Amino acid sequence: MRFLPVLLIIILAPLLGGLITKIKNNLRMRQGQSIFQPYYNLVKYFNKEEVVSGTSSWIFKMAPFAIFASSLAALFYMREFLALIFIFALGRFFLSLAALDTGSTFGGMGSSREMFISSLSEPVACLACFAVSLQNGSTDLLAWKSLPLANTSALIAGVALFLVMIAETSRIPIDNQETHLELTMIHEAMILEYSGRSLALIEAASYIRQMIWLLIIAQVLLPLTDPVGISGSQWLLWSCWYAARIVIVAAVIALLEIAVAKMRLFRAVDFFGFGFVLAAIAVLCAVLGY
Amino acid sequence: MPGAELINIINKKLPDFKVVAVTRPYPDELVIQVKAEDFKKVCLAVHEHLSSSVMSFFAVDDRQQQGKFILYCYFINVPLHQWVAVRLDISPADPYFEAISKDIYSAHLFEREIWEMFGLEPKGNPDLRRLRLHDEVWPVGNYPLRKDFQTVTEGEKKDYKFTRVEGEGIFEVPVGPVHAGIIGPGHFRFSVAGEPIINLEARLGFTHRGVEKLFEGKSLPAGLQLAECISGESAFAHSLAFCQAAEKIAGITVDKKTAYWRSILLEVERMYNHVNDIGGIALDVGFSFPAALAAIIKESILQANEKLTGNRYLKGVNKLGGISLKMDQSRHEELTTSLGRIREDFAVLVNILEESVSFMDRVDGTGTLKKEIAEDLGVLGLAGRASGIPIDLRKIFPGVYQEAGIKIITAQTGDVLARLKVRIEEFAESGRLTAEFLSKISTAETTGSKSGPAVDGALGYSEGWRGPVLYWLKTGTEGLIERCKIVDPSFHNWPGLSYAVLGEIIPDFPLCNKSFDLSYSGSDL
Repeated sequence: MRFLPVLLIIILAPLLGGLITKIKNNLRMRQGQSIFQPYYNLVKYFNKEEVVSGTSSWIFKMAPFAIFASSLAALFYMREFLALIFIFALGRFFLSLAALDTGSTFGGMGSSREMFISSLSEPVACLACFAVSLQNGSTDLLAWKSLPLANTSALIAGVALFLVMIAETSRIPIDNQETHLELTMIHEAMILEYSGRSLALIEAASYIRQMIWLLIIAQVLLPLTDPVGISGSQWLLWSCWYAARIVIVAAVIALLEIAVAKMRLFRAVDFFGFGFVLAAIAVLCAVLGY
Repeated sequence: MPGAELINIINKKLPDFKVVAVTRPYPDELVIQVKAEDFKKVCLAVHEHLSSSVMSFFAVDDRQQQGKFILYCYFINVPLHQWVAVRLDISPADPYFEAISKDIYSAHLFEREIWEMFGLEPKGNPDLRRLRLHDEVWPVGNYPLRKDFQTVTEGEKKDYKFTRVEGEGIFEVPVGPVHAGIIGPGHFRFSVAGEPIINLEARLGFTHRGVEKLFEGKSLPAGLQLAECISGESAFAHSLAFCQAAEKIAGITVDKKTAYWRSILLEVERMYNHVNDIGGIALDVGFSFPAALAAIIKESILQANEKLTGNRYLKGVNKLGGISLKMDQSRHEELTTSLGRIREDFAVLVNILEESVSFMDRVDGTGTLKKEIAEDLGVLGLAGRASGIPIDLRKIFPGVYQEAGIKIITAQTGDVLARLKVRIEEFAESGRLTAEFLSKISTAETTGSKSGPAVDGALGYSEGWRGPVLYWLKTGTEGLIERCKIVDPSFHNWPGLSYAVLGEIIPDFPLCNKSFDLSYSGSDL
């Protein structure tokens, strides 16, 4: 029973990426690619020959498996948020290492920027998690004992987590997945040397990671209790709302990506400074009982 | 004597200077021929008196007829609406001249060009690395623009030496010539301390096709076709400059209707390129909605181009002494309405950009090119005007622009925002000019005049969207092209980019680059 949701997330994760892209394209007055395009891409990458730089070591070849494994492991630890942060950090560590390993111009730049960004975003994530945990009595962000819809603390913490998620999924205003400008890239710069199966693994891992973040943020901002002891029709309703929340968060992300420009790299400090203040306020609210 | 006033001024500065000859081959050109020992001093005097950077500086291999190389260094005399050339004859026995670039920096790249293409050494120029004939490929001792150059003779090949910056924590970041996007090839060598850029050296020349050599021996109509292909987005500006040079030589004065149409098409080219760059600037900071809107506007202009001329990029429209357009009343009206719609869409685009705080934060104060530096480097055109250099050939040599009263748009700050604002206002101004020309065109005269052909070389010029495009043309006795020197504004402006990015961080380089949007092919030739 535990494997079913995991399997569902793995299967649906690329669809979510396709959906966000589709919404963005439609907002930009464009027809855009099919929402299934991420699947086609993954299949294409899997069937392609892999090109590996002659100067790279075993780290480069091993890293995609480590990154994919970290995303898979995260799926089993979704109910333990602190563990999740560090599991993601593990994947990021290997990706940065692999990017340095090839000795290419952009890999090193990508790694240093990724470390810079994550050193700012991780404290925000931890603090926001504490705020929610104080309300909830556990670091399991997916389980709510009751449904505090108008919970100030959780709302503020949710917004702080949203900011972290933007960095984690390399989206505007921190990073830009769509750019072709190699000098501005963060995440894309690190995977620039990858091709074929390794690239497919890294992309799949990114989709899963994105899905997990969206699930958590949807749960914090629009909480829903576990479907324990509800009947068939109610269960259907529950599932629909469960999915709809994720689509809502996805739509907000797409809207944000269209509405603002990417910020200057060093502005990320202000961005996460704001996130940290939000998270601190959330903790304060939680302590005071709001 | 023509130009007596200028000679007097030079004589005041240089009492023992004796001019060899002063000619005025065309009403808008003055050529001062000087002796070798006076060349540098006269150039400096003219440069200081006119406060003009070097607009064009090139050599002509005339060893077959006159047994010498000829150097021309062109300046612009803004108040007198005239080009001033300093001419120096060089004997093939002593193939060198005194470098002027130590005093006039804007001559630097031209001197390197003359050295690599003709083997005429600018004595005193400390940097004679080749620009286009890459040392790894071209052996030393090959000078392809000499008339007797046939094929590459094998010889020693060297490595290119980049400027090195050394110090603790300084890294070199090599980027290109192959980039992640589908853009032209250029190699950029950054010296960085972390993210901030300490030095940038651009190495270009990867799209060198030897076009100046290709022009030689071509008839004028064939040359016109080639001129349109030098830099694709400036096809019309290039063809217009070529036509003007060719028409000066042939003694043709075009009729007013043609002049109107040429101005309209030149403005339309400016409009589609400006909106393309505005969209490009937005896209480079990840602001994709206005970028998509800009793409729509650009496409509608291109479609209007195709309806009007049969070519989206205005190729094949200019003819020597005229223009090939079949216009009737309905097409005329269609163009007027579509341009009106385009201007409305453009207002929406500008509004989105100006209202966006996140966008303005990226462009304001980024990539500043100060006026003094821009002047020293000889930065011209749009980038120059954004740094406060009010040079616009449409104002200096107005023609039909006279009656429309063209407004020069300048900014003072020289940052990305300034270049963006100049584009925005120039788009509006171009829209106004086009509408005005269109309203006048039906009553314009259709008779031009023709005098006898001339033998001297002639300078043709147009203010393209990026800046002044210059063509110096000389034909032989059979009317075939003997020498064609092209100066695209990109050639002047590439050094400006290298200065504008100093102190900026690496991820802001693409934005600075886009705000200049220079042409590789126009600069590499």
